Amino acid sequence: MNWTGLLVELTLMPLVAFVVGLGLVLMMRRIAAKIQRRVGPPLLQPLYDIVKLYGKETQISHGLMHDIGIVMAVGGYIAAETMLPVPGMNGIADKAGLLTLAYVTMIPSLGLALGVGQCANPNGSIGIARALTAMLAYDIPLVLVIFGVAWHFGSNNLVDIAAAQQQAGIAGWGAVQMPLLALAGLFALHAMLGKQPFEIYVAPAEIATGPMVEMGGKYLGGLFVMQCFQLYTAGVLYVTMFLGGGENWASFLLKVFAVVAIPVSLAYVFPRYRTEDLLRLVWKWPVLLGLAGIWLAMR
Amino acid sequence: MITLTVALPLLAAFLLPLAGPLRYALGPAVPLAMAWLALQAWAPAQAEPFVIAIGGFRPPLGIAFYVDTIAVLLNLAVAACVLLLWPWGTGADAARKQSLTLLLAGASAGLALSGDLFNVYVFYELVAVASYGLAAGRGTGAGYAAAFRYLVVSSLGSLLALIGITLIYFRAGTLNLAHLAELAPAALHDPLGLSAFLLLLVGLGVKAEMFPVNAWVPEVYAAAESRVSALLAGLVSKLAVLVLVRLLVLVFPLDEARLALLVLGTLGIVTGELAAWRARDLTRMLAFSSIGQLGIVLVAFAIPGEAGLAAGLAVAVHHLIAKPALFLLAERWGGSIEALAGAGLRSKLGGALFVLFALSLVGVPPLPGFWAKFLTLSGLAAQSGAAWWLAAAAILLTTVVEASYLFRVVGRLYAPDDEGRAAAQGRLQLAGAGVLGACLIAAAAGAVPLGEALKHMAAQAGDRPAYIERVLRPHPEVAQ
Amino acid sequence: MSGLDQLLLASAGTLLVAFLLGAWRPASWLFTALYAAQLALLLRMPEAASATPAFVVFGQTIGWTLDAYGRFFAVITVGAALAASWFASGEWGARYEAAENSLRALHSAMAANVLAMLMLLASRDLVTLFIGWELVSWASFLMMALGGQRAMRAALRYVPYAMGGAMAVLGAMVFAHAWTGTLDLGLLAQRLAHLEPARLWVLAALLIGGFGVKMGLLPFHLWQAGAYAEAPGPGTAFLGAISSRMGLFAIALVLVRLITLEGLPALTIVPGLFGLREALAWIAALTIVLPTFTALKQNDARYLLAWHGIGQGGYMLLGIVVGDAWGSAGGLMHVFNHATYQAALFLSVYAVVHRTGTADLNQLGGLIVRMPLSFLTMLVGIIGLAGLPPMNGFVSKWLVYRSLMTNGMPLLFLASVIGTLGTILSVYKLLHNTFLGQLRSEHVSIREAPWSMTLPMLALCVIVFATGTAPGLVLGWVAQAQAALGLPVINYTLGGVESSRGGLDMLWVVGVLFGGFGIGALLFYGAGRSKRLHQLDNYAGGHFLSADVRYQYSDNFYAGLMHRIGPLYRGAFAWAESALSSAVSLAATAMQGVYRQQVPALFLLATAVLALFWVVTR
Repeated sequence: MNWTGLLVELTLMPLVAFVVGLGLVLMMRRIAAKIQRRVGPPLLQPLYDIVKLYGKETQISHGLMHDIGIVMAVGGYIAAETMLPVPGMNGIADKAGLLTLAYVTMIPSLGLALGVGQCANPNGSIGIARALTAMLAYDIPLVLVIFGVAWHFGSNNLVDIAAAQQQAGIAGWGAVQMPLLALAGLFALHAMLGKQPFEIYVAPAEIATGPMVEMGGKYLGGLFVMQCFQLYTAGVLYVTMFLGGGENWASFLLKVFAVVAIPVSLAYVFPRYRTEDLLRLVWKWPVLLGLAGIWLAMR
Repeated sequence: MITLTVALPLLAAFLLPLAGPLRYALGPAVPLAMAWLALQAWAPAQAEPFVIAIGGFRPPLGIAFYVDTIAVLLNLAVAACVLLLWPWGTGADAARKQSLTLLLAGASAGLALSGDLFNVYVFYELVAVASYGLAAGRGTGAGYAAAFRYLVVSSLGSLLALIGITLIYFRAGTLNLAHLAELAPAALHDPLGLSAFLLLLVGLGVKAEMFPVNAWVPEVYAAAESRVSALLAGLVSKLAVLVLVRLLVLVFPLDEARLALLVLGTLGIVTGELAAWRARDLTRMLAFSSIGQLGIVLVAFAIPGEAGLAAGLAVAVHHLIAKPALFLLAERWGGSIEALAGAGLRSKLGGALFVLFALSLVGVPPLPGFWAKFLTLSGLAAQSGAAWWLAAAAILLTTVVEASYLFRVVGRLYAPDDEGRAAAQGRLQLAGAGVLGACLIAAAAGAVPLGEALKHMAAQAGDRPAYIERVLRPHPEVAQ
Repeated sequence: MSGLDQLLLASAGTLLVAFLLGAWRPASWLFTALYAAQLALLLRMPEAASATPAFVVFGQTIGWTLDAYGRFFAVITVGAALAASWFASGEWGARYEAAENSLRALHSAMAANVLAMLMLLASRDLVTLFIGWELVSWASFLMMALGGQRAMRAALRYVPYAMGGAMAVLGAMVFAHAWTGTLDLGLLAQRLAHLEPARLWVLAALLIGGFGVKMGLLPFHLWQAGAYAEAPGPGTAFLGAISSRMGLFAIALVLVRLITLEGLPALTIVPGLFGLREALAWIAALTIVLPTFTALKQNDARYLLAWHGIGQGGYMLLGIVVGDAWGSAGGLMHVFNHATYQAALFLSVYAVVHRTGTADLNQLGGLIVRMPLSFLTMLVGIIGLAGLPPMNGFVSKWLVYRSLMTNGMPLLFLASVIGTLGTILSVYKLLHNTFLGQLRSEHVSIREAPWSMTLPMLALCVIVFATGTAPGLVLGWVAQAQAALGLPVINYTLGGVESSRGGLDMLWVVGVLFGGFGIGALLFYGAGRSKRLHQLDNYAGGHFLSADVRYQYSDNFYAGLMHRIGPLYRGAFAWAESALSSAVSLAATAMQGVYRQQVPALFLLATAVLALFWVVTR
């Protein structure tokens, strides 16, 4: 791998992620509209939103950490995207691996938490407390899934994992080999995306959108970008672990959109769980599934 | 010459009341002279123990003093302790105490040197009489009550010991230790002989603070002057142990005898240390702790062979240094531990000394207390059998308890003294404890040569055939 | 004069100087310099250096040798003392003395701790090991007892634990000597292999249990948080950074050098399924999880960090117990990493205490603007503690996770991740309640801590970040330590480790991360200026809020979580501790009863009769 090639990949991968993320956001809104029997937004609406937010005249900053928090939220995901192999591009996936990726994706959350903290708005702090609690909930099944996958493929390297599945065909896909873990992973993914019924940390009516309460203009714009990346990251990670990764762009994107569509569709037909109920739910079913899946995988 | 260490103080004890103003100088001069005499005997005894036949009658007919390194060491310790704990003062009360102290000193020296059971009994009784007088010395009601209690138990103990001695005499027809040692395998290694030993053990155990005949200890130590407690706990107990050890080594080298010592010692450790944990005033705490320490001494001496003797000696000598010092410190710091708040800040040297001795008692290396415990535990571990290992476990576990209560006191010593009530240390007490502390530190620094000396001492004391040989069939140049 | 002689002399000299000049304020800088000199001596030292003094016990020569394994810990020890004494050298020390505390005692205690630890780390036989162990225990007692009444209470709670541990070690030592006839660690390792399993079990349990006390290994952890947290500031930082790692040092010594990794599987509980190794791994995992969640409930910054210190010890032990090259490297490296970020964290907390007078997390908040450097230190520190990239804590934990994955230990892996997640929650609360959120009106005019305090903090931050980005810097020492101890040696690069099945190159990860931040910053700052509001210009729930209205969200920070897991906090260990204490107390009362009998004479006669009875029936 020569330097220029790598540099191009490192630039392209976040860009692709951003564009696909915009598409995923659009899909999410369209699905919501379908379920609620609305028309839904036009194709470029997510982009318009971002441009609008960044271009706002009134931008309120509560201090340096508030700004840096947003930078970290976006920058962390940009870095994470370079560790996710996509068709034709591996970036630095072989230098980081599955475990590192899981931890790097916590950086944006940390940035957000720091930024919100400086806003000195109790609603924001409450939102972060809840978001962190939710993280404690869904990360437990998630790491079980990661462990199972890494054990099954004998590698922590996402490139290897994808390659192994592509070699073996559909019968060798993670989802076929480890259906229980795939199910647990889907559950964890749903919670990770923070969609209903797991969005107590936003709770607009109760804590005024929690972490977003002091965010406007480019701050909210940053969070919007972060959401694009988040949807993309979750989708690609799942596809790479369970659905054979990307043989080519068409099938890859199809799979990513399909994966993200599942939690998004489910989201809009659910009400919201309280924090303690969320914990009980996530610590019960997906964890049991994950443990059973690992037991099967290691048998 | 060494016989003078017995005669001189005994004589002085009776002359002192008659000596008039001269007695202020005469009194302290006696232990000094004793120390000097003992030092004179050190080198010869170290090279080769020797026997002194009193009045020129050869053992087994005559009575003999057996002078080996242990005996000299204890003589030295007697002199040093008496000097450090000397009852300074001018009144009639002080004079009485000085006489009694000298009586105790002379009798103790005799006890250390005696080579036959009859003398042992006589000197033991003398020690007892002197200690009754001293124990009641404070003149309070509680003091008299405790001393009376002590008197009853102790004389009953003496009676039992006497029965034991009678039994031995009845079987063996002699009371000379060397002669007994020679006759013992034939005459005394049977149930009757063992009974005699046990009676002696119980009887002498009263002064050795042995469980379960040590119930007098906490009351007497709490009521008597700390000086006296220091003498009793530090010195007298060791002398009683020495007699027991001589018996054990020379006459009754039996497994049963060792077992009895081991079991009673272990029980003493457990009961003493646990009881100390609950003690609410410093003197009682030290008294209970002393019971526990004496338990370790007994357990250590129960270990067969030179290893046991060396370990026992190490623990005994360490306790002989540490306990008097702590009792000296407790002279002003007696009473409730709660009231000690800030005392260590008020008297910095006193606090530091207390911490030093506490650390050594607990057995923190490189202080001598550690090596003593280490020798004991190593000896116990080297035996095989549940009783030995249980004793080791008891020592280890009670050390935790010990550290916990001693450092509770340390915690109080350095607590803020809000009311300014903390008692300052007396100069005399500090000086005494300071000297002992210096000894302790010197011993820590010279642990290696001391260890060698200890080994030599143990080898001498444990050599039964040589003892018999020296006493009964002396080379002409040795028998003086 | 060997390198170790020089080092020990320098260390003893520091103690002497501390005792003589400790009370003289201008000399405070001297100690920092003296620790720096010790560090220089250490770094210059060859692979293994022996001290000249030696003595003979039971016919065996006893002495000290510092090898690469001991030196790894020694570097951390002296480094921690360096940072802590630097922190104390300026205004902190002046304030400490003005409050009628003895600076001499503090400096002496620190120097004594360092000397004792060096002696422990250089021990090559059971006697020196025990001597070092006891000295370390009592030196740290001295440090713990300096901080006033509460500290003394905590220190006294420590005494029975420390002594219990020490006595277990002493017991193991005398029995090992009795059973194998040697005190030398090398010979002992050879002879232990031939010892019957039951006896080996006894020795292993006594040694590991005894050493585990110092490490705060479950169930012997209760003393630690209070004892460390209540010590005077730099003392807390020093103790928290390294003191309890002495236990880990000794446990690893026992496991790897004495029992050896080959001998370990022989110690089984359920043959083929569960043995000492598994038991230790689970104890380590519980040590990670339970104290971490206790930390989550703390409302005092010092206690919170001290509890995390206990929990982090679990990772180190877990890594070593797994025993492969990566896991043990992670465990050992975590010792270094933990020392650096934990010292930084404690120092930042004490910088805040210096200015505000409190470490109560419900009485702080919003200090970020007032004390930006302290905030930065704590931020770096918590990222390290939580084990997130790019700080060094991530690398060591990553190695441990990875080896758990490779060795197929899902439940232990899960436990260690749960610990990390709990840590993230807890440290965010720490940071938020101290530096973020609402500034209290009484803190409006607070200034940043003086340079004498912030400089060591920032230096530690640099280390935390640099060794996170280039872990090879530390892994070199770790590899030497592994080789000296007898562990498989890690094959490392400057950026981490290479492996075809998923390695780690932190240089790239950090590079990309900061590249990402750069792009994020471009996006952010490219998009129009924002208006900076004053910190006290706030608005919530439809009201403009002024500083005198307190609305900081701090107490019961994770209310939802506690609602769920709150009932799981049973205080079982504390209950067991007090039950044991009550039992001893009861036994002690009974024993006093024995000595309070009214008729001792009768007792004496009864004893004599019983003794005779025994003779007759025997």
